[in-house]
Amino acid sequence: MEIQLISFGKISEFMESQKMEIPDMSNTDELKTYLEQCFPKLVGMKYKLALNKNMVQTSQELKNNDTIAIMPPFSGG
Amino acid sequence: MSEKKIRNIFIEGAISPSFIADSIAGHSSKTTIGGHSIFMGQVRNDEVDGKLVTAIEYTAYEDLALEKMHEIREEIFARYPLHCMHVHHSLGNIKTGEICLFVFTSAAHRKPAIDACTEIVERIKAELPIWGKEIFDNKTHQWKENK
Repeated sequence: MEIQLISFGKISEFMESQKMEIPDMSNTDELKTYLEQCFPKLVGMKYKLALNKNMVQTSQELKNNDTIAIMPPFSGG
Repeated sequence: MSEKKIRNIFIEGAISPSFIADSIAGHSSKTTIGGHSIFMGQVRNDEVDGKLVTAIEYTAYEDLALEKMHEIREEIFARYPLHCMHVHHSLGNIKTGEICLFVFTSAAHRKPAIDACTEIVERIKAELPIWGKEIFDNKTHQWKENK
């Protein structure tokens, strides 16, 4: 399956926004595990996901062509 | 208020004092207002390990930030008797001493204006997907963390 990955803040320094071919998986928790294998710098970092522009609080179903944003802690203002 | 009107809060570059002055002046015809509250965030020249912050470069997940700001706006209007509220946040490179956040609330009386303004500022910092990269005088940087 394919996802569109968008990264922000310090995460964007080691993970570019990109279309990414990933093994088939069913939810965002599995995706987190997969991303942490691909990008070991994520391990131990605080970050949140947004799925198709909605903040992910608990694991959400993942579908082909979904857009996933990966976001470090916010620091606006 | 069921119609969803997403307002853009983002301004490229610093928020100028004249923009703020014009915003204040624009309220003089709204004579049911008795109290305004204003918060302005300014870029501070923090010192970290002997290096000075010269600017903050702001980026945002704009679509999500504007959706979230819309939710905050609706909740604030539901809870406080406000006449109006205005929020502007900078994107891009903002130098020390320049204004990067402007929150402006108005009500018939001071208390809701002040309380709403405070709550909006706290929620912007905690809930909007915006990131600040602190640029130091030796061209290195670190990512800002909100306290």
